[in-house]
Amino acid sequence: MEEKRIGVYVCWCGTNISKMVDVVGVAEEVGKLPNVVVSKNYKYMCSDPGQDLIIKDIKEHKLNRVVVSACSPRIHELTFRKALTNAGLNPYMFEMANIREQVSWVHTDREEATKKAKSLVLGAVARVAYHEALDKRTVEINPASLVIGGGISGLSAALEIADSDKKVYLLEKEAQLGGHTANIDLCFPHMIPARQILGPKIKRVENHPNIEVFKDAAIEEVFGYIGNFNADIMANGKSRNIEFGNIIVATGLKPFDPSSVDLHGYGKLPNVVTSVEFERMLQSGKIETKDGREPKNIAIIHCVGSRNNDYHEYCSRTCCMLGLKYANQLRTALPDSNIYEIYADMRSFGKGCEEMYAETARRKIMFLNFDQREGIPQITKAHPEDCCEMLIEMKERLSNTNIEVPADMVVLLVGMEAREDARDVAHQVGVSKCGNDFFIERHPKLDPVATTTDGVYIVGSCQGPKDITDSIAQARAAAARVLATITQGTVEVEVTTAVVNEDICCGCQTCVNVCPYTAISYDEEKSVSVVNEILCKGCGTCVSACPTGAIRARHFTDQQILSQIKGLMTTEMTEV
Amino acid sequence: MEAKDKNAKPKIKMAVYWGSACGGCCVSVLDVHEALFDVIAAADLVFWPIALDIKYKDVEAMADQEIDLCLYNGAVRNSENEHIAHLLRKKTKILVAYGSCAHMGGIPGLGNFSNREGIFERIYQTTESTVNPDKIRPQTITKVKEGELTLPEFYNDVRTLDQTVDVDYYMPGCPPQTERLLEVFTAIVTGAELPPKGSVIGAYEKTQCDECKRKKTENKTVKEFKRPIDIVDDGETCFLEQGVICLGPATRGGCGVRCIEGNAPCRGCYGPPADSPDPGAKMMSAIGTMIDSDDEEEIQKIVEQIDDPAGTFYRFSLPGSIIRRKLL
Repeated sequence: MEEKRIGVYVCWCGTNISKMVDVVGVAEEVGKLPNVVVSKNYKYMCSDPGQDLIIKDIKEHKLNRVVVSACSPRIHELTFRKALTNAGLNPYMFEMANIREQVSWVHTDREEATKKAKSLVLGAVARVAYHEALDKRTVEINPASLVIGGGISGLSAALEIADSDKKVYLLEKEAQLGGHTANIDLCFPHMIPARQILGPKIKRVENHPNIEVFKDAAIEEVFGYIGNFNADIMANGKSRNIEFGNIIVATGLKPFDPSSVDLHGYGKLPNVVTSVEFERMLQSGKIETKDGREPKNIAIIHCVGSRNNDYHEYCSRTCCMLGLKYANQLRTALPDSNIYEIYADMRSFGKGCEEMYAETARRKIMFLNFDQREGIPQITKAHPEDCCEMLIEMKERLSNTNIEVPADMVVLLVGMEAREDARDVAHQVGVSKCGNDFFIERHPKLDPVATTTDGVYIVGSCQGPKDITDSIAQARAAAARVLATITQGTVEVEVTTAVVNEDICCGCQTCVNVCPYTAISYDEEKSVSVVNEILCKGCGTCVSACPTGAIRARHFTDQQILSQIKGLMTTEMTEV
Repeated sequence: MEAKDKNAKPKIKMAVYWGSACGGCCVSVLDVHEALFDVIAAADLVFWPIALDIKYKDVEAMADQEIDLCLYNGAVRNSENEHIAHLLRKKTKILVAYGSCAHMGGIPGLGNFSNREGIFERIYQTTESTVNPDKIRPQTITKVKEGELTLPEFYNDVRTLDQTVDVDYYMPGCPPQTERLLEVFTAIVTGAELPPKGSVIGAYEKTQCDECKRKKTENKTVKEFKRPIDIVDDGETCFLEQGVICLGPATRGGCGVRCIEGNAPCRGCYGPPADSPDPGAKMMSAIGTMIDSDDEEEIQKIVEQIDDPAGTFYRFSLPGSIIRRKLL
């Protein structure tokens, strides 16, 4: 057997890791292990000089295996695998130990953290010793794409791809295209009617020769992998199977339901409406109370369900501008009305937005500030002798006084939240969700529209609250990514699939039915099970089901996992 | 003993020893029947406590590596087993862990679900037939007027042979099939090329199902686990498909599927195939995928039907498995 020559690199990640982990000590300690030829620490392993260090050492010290102890492999495993390839080493002779997300970011005791980091690195070193070289597999890309969701994001992505003469299947859950944009009257900051933006897009999509639209449609199941997906879908009561190479998920958002915010009285006070309902009023051109009167006092309350630990911690990003837009529309429609903008913080970021804020402030709008930490405004029914229908009690922050604001109509700027069916979609297409059920991008900065599943992209508000501008930017970015893979014609796919050792397989067939991708069949002639590596996703279910140990998961063999555990356990553990 | 005839092949020196064993392995050597004459023609049996009166001191007097082949059967349960394992390792060229106990711990290995105190407590105190008001327990040293009497020290752990000394080959089975023994013996005395050190010999690469004639399909879904006495076996359908736990798929062939041929499910004495360090875990994992339910409570109920799960899945392999013992 070839001599194992392992190189270990412990990353500081600036101060991200080094402030909580003794990176120098870890590298020194690990350097004493047998088979470890070099063990170094460096400020930023992912930087070009960091990668060059590895490449140089591979050549100089004839390393045949490499461990980088740095951040999550989700972020930089590919980076370092590429470095190995550049040095002429098989990229799978690499293992990453995550001492940032799993150590320095989550611990406060430097000594304990260092000990844990050392364990993780020892595990990685023990594992990498058993790594085997794997060959990359190339598959052809089906040039068709599936876009899930017919809102502004989905429509934009679909058109971008279809205009490049590539087939698009566009799936919409509802009977109409347009999504939430269809419910909007004017768009901030330029006050362009949403209809003007959306209408032509819908018309183009519906008449586009390269786009097949399915309305009232739902996905039943998605199979395959980048380049070769197929899905069973149900549209208009009919089931169909479609084949495509890439997926763009544009399933959008759900407006926050303010019924749970007791102090706002939504659902009990008839003239407390949500921004969604108010848009409808604006679209119809009639701003009136439930009993058909013109409101004299109108209050717009910000941050409903947003930036509040009782509801959603995050900012919904669009509501502040929406509030300013309403103030402007109201001032124009009802010149003599009193308009109150009740806000927590004014977040008018983005091109033209701060300017719109300044402009609005000059239009006789009363801006009242409240501190969410001290409670949210409370809306109650006014006394008959009061000049208004409702009273809003609040502590005005800037003047530090408790005040009552009169209101005949209150507009609640409700935030955005993930759709209830986000979980199903995530499961079907294989994307992950963050704690708020929004889908997670592959990298928050470097790869914002891709996901950890190759060939699956997320755009628009299914990824997080977003305005139309950002949604379209993402949609077209994802379309560019899809078109790039289609243009390449082929794509390299993971080779970490399951494989049957026919010398051991006894033909018990335990594995056949457990495969979620129907990738296993039984060869009657040879009396062995056969894994179709094109269909196999490497989930490992059959590996654990196989009683003989004849099925191995490449890159996740028993030996690799067991030696990693053994390595982890070599450090002395103390009671916690 | 040198061969008299100059043309005859020199005889090899062979030893058979029992550690913590039932004696079945030694009997399996006798079971070669008339072939014993061939064995004796090719080998001098220099140590075999069950059949020959040769003392430990005779072995101690031998030169290092004087014995060509030693079949050590039985697990390592006490200090005597351990001492002789070390002694035979020193005196032997090819040391074979013979039978399930030496190979994986075997039936005595189930003692690892308890420890010395637990076992002594049961045997010398609480068994229904024991009366021991003075709580007398065996001692390693007992002084009597004639002098000192000694007993081996009983360990907490049962170990496999290779957890005690370096082992050249493993020959599985409870006991190993006599035909396999003859094949191995013949290979060694004829000087055939031997497999790499550490190999399992006298068994097949593939597991029991490969030889088993019962009908197997992919339909391995179980709603109810049954003991063999609970079913009316049709003699044709895979035991697992009848809800009876059979360790066949996780167990090497080589025994001639004797249990299954006798309409009893495989119990796993031939151990796992290559690269499968824990046949019990493998089998439990496989059984897990067969349970036909998505309801947690129902699954729990189905699993509870498995009679003596620890003894079922680890009957022969506990000390040699990854879990090795129960934590007490």
